[in-house]
Amino acid sequence: MEKLKIAHMYPDLMNLYGDRGNLICLQKRMQWYGLDCDIKSIYLEDKLDFNQIDMLFMGGGSDREQGLVYNDLIKKADQLMQHINDGLPMLCICGAYQLLGTYYKSHDGQVMEGLGFFPFYTVGKKDRLIGNILLESEFSGHKSTVVGFENHGGRTYFDDQNLQALGTVTKGHGNNGEDKTEGIRFQNLIGTYLHGPLLPKNPLLADFFIQAMTHRNGIELNTVLDDSIENIAHEQVRRKIISA
Amino acid sequence: MFKIRKIVAILVGKLIIIMSRIAGNQGSTLPGKLSSRIYPPLLKELSHNTYKDTFIVTGTNGKTTTTNMVAAILKAQGSSYVHNQAGANMVNGITTAFIRQTNLTGTKPFDYALLETDEANVPLLLEVIKPRFILITNFFRDQLDRFGELDHTINLIKGAVKGLDIELVLNADDPLESHFSRETGLRCWYYGFADTEYDSFEGLENREGRHCVMCGQELEYLRFHYAQLGVFNCPQCGNHNPAPDFIGSDLRMTPNITFNIDAMMIESTFQGFYNAYNILAAVSLARLAGIDSPVIQKALAEFQPQAGRMETFNIKEKKVILILVKNPTGLNQSLSMLALDGKTKNLFIALNDNAADGRDISWIWDADVEVIASEADLINKVICSGQRSGDMAVRIKYADIPADKIIIQPSLQEGIDQAINGDSAVSYILCTYTALFTSRKILVKMQKQYPTAAHQASPQGETI
Repeated sequence: MEKLKIAHMYPDLMNLYGDRGNLICLQKRMQWYGLDCDIKSIYLEDKLDFNQIDMLFMGGGSDREQGLVYNDLIKKADQLMQHINDGLPMLCICGAYQLLGTYYKSHDGQVMEGLGFFPFYTVGKKDRLIGNILLESEFSGHKSTVVGFENHGGRTYFDDQNLQALGTVTKGHGNNGEDKTEGIRFQNLIGTYLHGPLLPKNPLLADFFIQAMTHRNGIELNTVLDDSIENIAHEQVRRKIISA
Repeated sequence: MFKIRKIVAILVGKLIIIMSRIAGNQGSTLPGKLSSRIYPPLLKELSHNTYKDTFIVTGTNGKTTTTNMVAAILKAQGSSYVHNQAGANMVNGITTAFIRQTNLTGTKPFDYALLETDEANVPLLLEVIKPRFILITNFFRDQLDRFGELDHTINLIKGAVKGLDIELVLNADDPLESHFSRETGLRCWYYGFADTEYDSFEGLENREGRHCVMCGQELEYLRFHYAQLGVFNCPQCGNHNPAPDFIGSDLRMTPNITFNIDAMMIESTFQGFYNAYNILAAVSLARLAGIDSPVIQKALAEFQPQAGRMETFNIKEKKVILILVKNPTGLNQSLSMLALDGKTKNLFIALNDNAADGRDISWIWDADVEVIASEADLINKVICSGQRSGDMAVRIKYADIPADKIIIQPSLQEGIDQAINGDSAVSYILCTYTALFTSRKILVKMQKQYPTAAHQASPQGETI
């Protein structure tokens, strides 16, 4: 059995809102596909060889944690961006997503440097954007809705209009509550504000990552999973959001 | 000599308690906190108003139930006592309890002080309060305890009690308590169960090996009563169960818990082996306090669990247990408990997302639902219900329960029907806060409609 590795970045610092459910989802789906998946926890100061891992996952954390993570990641930033360019799958939620941009300015005026991977910035406000959110997106050539729950004080704005978002907001706030974009998407990287957690109720998105990993390793997926339960849950929330 | 500062501190505390109640809060730590700032020796001095015994109850699980049972016994005795509420079990919460029950000059006497506290708070509390007895229910290792926090806590407790004039009341079946006597030199009393018909002989596969607290070797068990409580011995150093002073024998758990301690027969409306231990612990403490058997028996026979706290119904010859779940810890504990009962079961879980439940239901992914996977063979169906039935079903599926055992049924009535009518020895009804009231009403109605053979007559007047 092929053994694939997902690096869980800073699980002790960036771990809000049940986001570990994304890893449970990926690991289980891969098991059902007949693949073997290891989750490796990466802490501050740990060495990380991006060639040895098949995907990175980083959840959300508070400002203080983000600062610590930034100081650690900046040392590996060039290597990481190169791998992202080469198609390394990566999922960044909330605070981890903000970290990918050029800077984050908190509501009391403090500016925190971002990794500068993408031309966007985030401005924090005291009142938070909270609630269930519904997006329109597309994976592997299929149009799809994405459901989740957002809770963020930061408003993210793209500096470059060519930047691709994860999806268009049908209902909810998204990146900034103004331009109907949510998240960011580049090669096999996705940054987003969506909790939920994100992947369990959006199986197409979970499979987007799994297919990226297997494709890069020359593995073919021969099974088709039965997503009836996931789809019912997805529909339930979608209807709830639409009728709200 | 009345100290002005002390009186002011008590007055302020009492005022905050009243104001909190008006505002709808529990108000359990702020009064103690502020009053202690005004008059730091407050708790110490108020604790001297206890004329008989002060008890501290601690441990991982069962503190609240055990303490509430002891309180019921003290009440039946007609004794006066200070008792801190569950959730207010740190030093400030305990101070609040004393403030609430004392008079303005802080001189009102009490027979007993009955204080429940977290294991980690025992050392702090002992700096201020001198109990006669400390009762330990059990030490259960949290699945998330990767950093040896429990071992550290146990060591802190040992260090804190050493050299003090305290007697310990310990669980003889818990290997993690077997070294207290040797390492503290204190007088230790033990409670434990004799062999029962509910014992198992194999550990669950996913249970960590238990290691001897004295030498670190993996323990051998002759039998397990409940979780890691059982008849153990260490093949390396010979560490084994201490002889109990209070032995629970002839344990029966259906329809309710009954057992004997010496000549005293105990009956209770509670369910589950973990509650049998809570009862045994409470009785042991009450006996050590010199309380008469008839008082103990009566208090326990009448003591009822709160609504939704493992409340039991008997419907169609089946035991049905209603459990409120509010957060990852509560869900972990409830699932761990039912996964250990060794019976075929239907599980009904209603997940709502109203404001009182929490609109963000992602907490179910922070719970270790996977504990039920090892016992999946004994689970007939998991019925997922409530407003977020789909989310619950997804969680259950990813916890490795086969999809054909998962039913999505948003309607509480129909879901509960299925849970009770389906094939199983017992049904567990778990729900979040806003689904509790309705679920309970449904169960009460069903129990009236379908009395078991133990009941005399059905509502229609037919006799059985």
